[in-house]
Amino acid sequence: MSSSPPTEKADSRVQTRHVPLFSLGRVLTITSGTVTQLFRMKVFYFLFAFALVMVAAGNFSLPATPAQELSTIKKVSFGTMDLFAWLFSIVATALLIPRDQEDRTLYTILAKPVRRIEYLLGKLGGVLCVVGLSLLVMGTICAITVGFRESLLVSEEIGAMQADGHFAPDEVNQQIDLIRHQGLRPELALVVLAYFFKAAVVAAVTLLLSTIASSSLFTIIVSILVFLIGNAHALATGFWLQESGNSWVVRIVVKVVKVLIPDFQIFAFSEGIVQGEVVPYWLVGEMGLITVGYLLVFLLLSLLVFVDKEF
Amino acid sequence: MKRLFHFVPRLILVLALLAMFGLVREPVEQRMRARLIEANLLLPPPAQTAFEQMSQSAMMGTLGGLRTLVATYLTLEAFDYFSTKSWDALRQTYQIIVDLEPRDESNWVSAIWHLGINATANMEYNDRLPKFERERLFREYAFAGIAFAERGIAQLPDSVAIRLQLAEIYRVKLQDNCATARVYGDTIGRPGALGYVRRFYGYFMARCPGKEREAYDYLISLYREGKQQHLPTLIKEIKNLEVKLSIPDKERIPDPDPDLPRPAPQSQPSTPLPGGIMVP
Amino acid sequence: MSSSNAAVEVENMTKVFPLGLRKGSVIAVDSLSLRVEAGEVYGLIGPNGSGKSTTMKVVLGLMAPSKGSAKVFGLDSGDIQARNEIGFLPENPYFYRHLTGEETIRFYGKLCGMRGAELSARTKELLRLVDLESAANRRLAGYSKGMLQRIGLAQSLVQKPRLVILDEPTAGVDPVGSRQIRDLILRLRDEGYTVFLCSHLLAQVQEVCDRVGILFRGKMRREGTLDELVAVEGRTSLTLDSVSPELLAEIHELAAAKGVSVLSEERPRTSLEQLFIQLAESEGETRS
Repeated sequence: MSSSPPTEKADSRVQTRHVPLFSLGRVLTITSGTVTQLFRMKVFYFLFAFALVMVAAGNFSLPATPAQELSTIKKVSFGTMDLFAWLFSIVATALLIPRDQEDRTLYTILAKPVRRIEYLLGKLGGVLCVVGLSLLVMGTICAITVGFRESLLVSEEIGAMQADGHFAPDEVNQQIDLIRHQGLRPELALVVLAYFFKAAVVAAVTLLLSTIASSSLFTIIVSILVFLIGNAHALATGFWLQESGNSWVVRIVVKVVKVLIPDFQIFAFSEGIVQGEVVPYWLVGEMGLITVGYLLVFLLLSLLVFVDKEF
Repeated sequence: MKRLFHFVPRLILVLALLAMFGLVREPVEQRMRARLIEANLLLPPPAQTAFEQMSQSAMMGTLGGLRTLVATYLTLEAFDYFSTKSWDALRQTYQIIVDLEPRDESNWVSAIWHLGINATANMEYNDRLPKFERERLFREYAFAGIAFAERGIAQLPDSVAIRLQLAEIYRVKLQDNCATARVYGDTIGRPGALGYVRRFYGYFMARCPGKEREAYDYLISLYREGKQQHLPTLIKEIKNLEVKLSIPDKERIPDPDPDLPRPAPQSQPSTPLPGGIMVP
Repeated sequence: MSSSNAAVEVENMTKVFPLGLRKGSVIAVDSLSLRVEAGEVYGLIGPNGSGKSTTMKVVLGLMAPSKGSAKVFGLDSGDIQARNEIGFLPENPYFYRHLTGEETIRFYGKLCGMRGAELSARTKELLRLVDLESAANRRLAGYSKGMLQRIGLAQSLVQKPRLVILDEPTAGVDPVGSRQIRDLILRLRDEGYTVFLCSHLLAQVQEVCDRVGILFRGKMRREGTLDELVAVEGRTSLTLDSVSPELLAEIHELAAAKGVSVLSEERPRTSLEQLFIQLAESEGETRS
């Protein structure tokens, strides 16, 4: 037998490893395991679908000005990126814990000296890594598409204006600035960050739901519903809470839903940036803090459900 | 084994804590929403009318935080209606688009251009309709374009592009010189307004009955700004007004030097898109 | 009950599962007490639904007892320190199918705080132990059931626990694979590991266990060493090699003279399992 014995004699105790209150190493092990799992589950194949949308968007030919055309391409690209990011976030998170439970892999992990908070953090961390990575890839594809089209449109426009012959250099620059304003700008990186914020909150909410639910399908459906309702916060306030004609029952139900479900709509501030509005950095910073708040609270609530869950 | 929360039903505890968190975050998020709307980064929720008119998929998309994507898709659909000359469908689609993206200037400009210029042009030459109907629809679409422009200006008070497109309807389609002058006048001094707007304000005021004196004073003040304003049209308009208003000879401006080279006349497209792009 | 030398000590443990509103509850384990001494192989047997897996999950800390207590080497089974002492192989384990055998062991090793050279050495050692060195770099998706059980056993041993808990370790495994696992269990016992095994395959339990507990409808019905449980009072059997008919007749006569009656006389038979293994092995040798 080549395995070294745990004991010299059955009754003599060996020196056991101390289990710390919290181990970042174990969290990172589960995180990297989750990233590998999602990688090898070939979830990144959805990026091909995204690339196809980009190719289609990059070839839009509309009876519009170059700036309008660029704006349309940009809106389609970034809108699709947003859709893919939150949807992916829900599906990936929903697949992880219920699947571990269904496959009984969870037993073998929790039978090791792993705290449940470490398991949850590791899983959430893994999803966030993969979502972040996907957003970077999608962002790069978008940047290439928009940038390529922008340079093409700019050179065509300069050519056309020069051929016309009666535009002063200032007028040419003004026209090019108009196009460039709808093109590739550094602020677009903040859009990718905003999508990450939204996807992170979506993942945290899905994590909580997946600790309550026992099947992936249920988690996915409920998470999507929660996301849709979370996007109607302002709408609900306007339609039901401020309309005097509604009964108090309706008002209470809407109020309860508003209090329980996160406000995903405020994360749509990215749409303004896509359309060329100037974004103050401190606002993005504050949105980051709100995201961290959501992550912490939903992680703690998930732990509350998960800590004494029996399998 | 001691377990946390052994005696408290988990779900109730979670819901209670979630509600507490909700009450804490609500004012924070409301403040944030107000700031984001103020910074033009977030849109107020779409008007109820937009929801009533939207298709189910568009509604879902809007709720799913995909307003921009839905609006862009509808813009593509609107181009389809344009190519099939389905003007009423186009008008309805643009009503949803501008409700979804009220801060996107190009949506307003396109809506005004499609209805005020293209739809009216189509009515002018649509032989399949009786003359009376054509004229009625012509005015209907022109005023629909004007209505879009007014809503657009309310949303984007400094928009030059919307005003220029509106001026086009008054100038080309309704041939209302007074209204054209009023719109050009309203455009002057707004960010991005080019120099010709001031001259156009004067030219169309000159053709507005009762406004000749005011137009004369305005054009003369432009003329006195220097040589860069001594353009043939400006001089011609002043000369016309001098005759019309019987300005004494000594106050009249000199005739243009007949030996000065004149720029070749440029043909203006009748239905230009913003930026001067021609529609095929 | 003294806990000085007990690997597992379950005392008066009851586990009740509520069935939801107005449906009452079901008692999965009822006032169970058992004790697994350090270094022994203990088999908990019983039909499906008898409470074996529930008992095991309580010992593992995956479930809390409704009443009573469960301790592992003197530590409460819910205490995370106790998990360091336990290696667990669940029934029909599905590990991450996207990982290779080696990655699986490394993954669980890291969860136990192992790193670097220590983990690499231990991984190699365990792959050798379970005879999966050649399949170390293959993904688990391509493993047979027996291979999965063996890699499961390897991961359970990665942090050198003192107690190994095996839930139906040979369920669904063919006789050859089953015997490999059985041999591994015996080797673990020789190494000084304590093995706590749950099974409904009596033959298997009989072959490897020092002591056995029989669980039925959540209650412990019998417990003791194998000899204690299976010995038939007042009867003895002899197995003789190459006995002649004459000698056999003499033995019968002697027994009759002493007033002892011979109750049966038969030729020992090999078990079907034994026969299957012999055939499989000889087939393997012929092919190689």
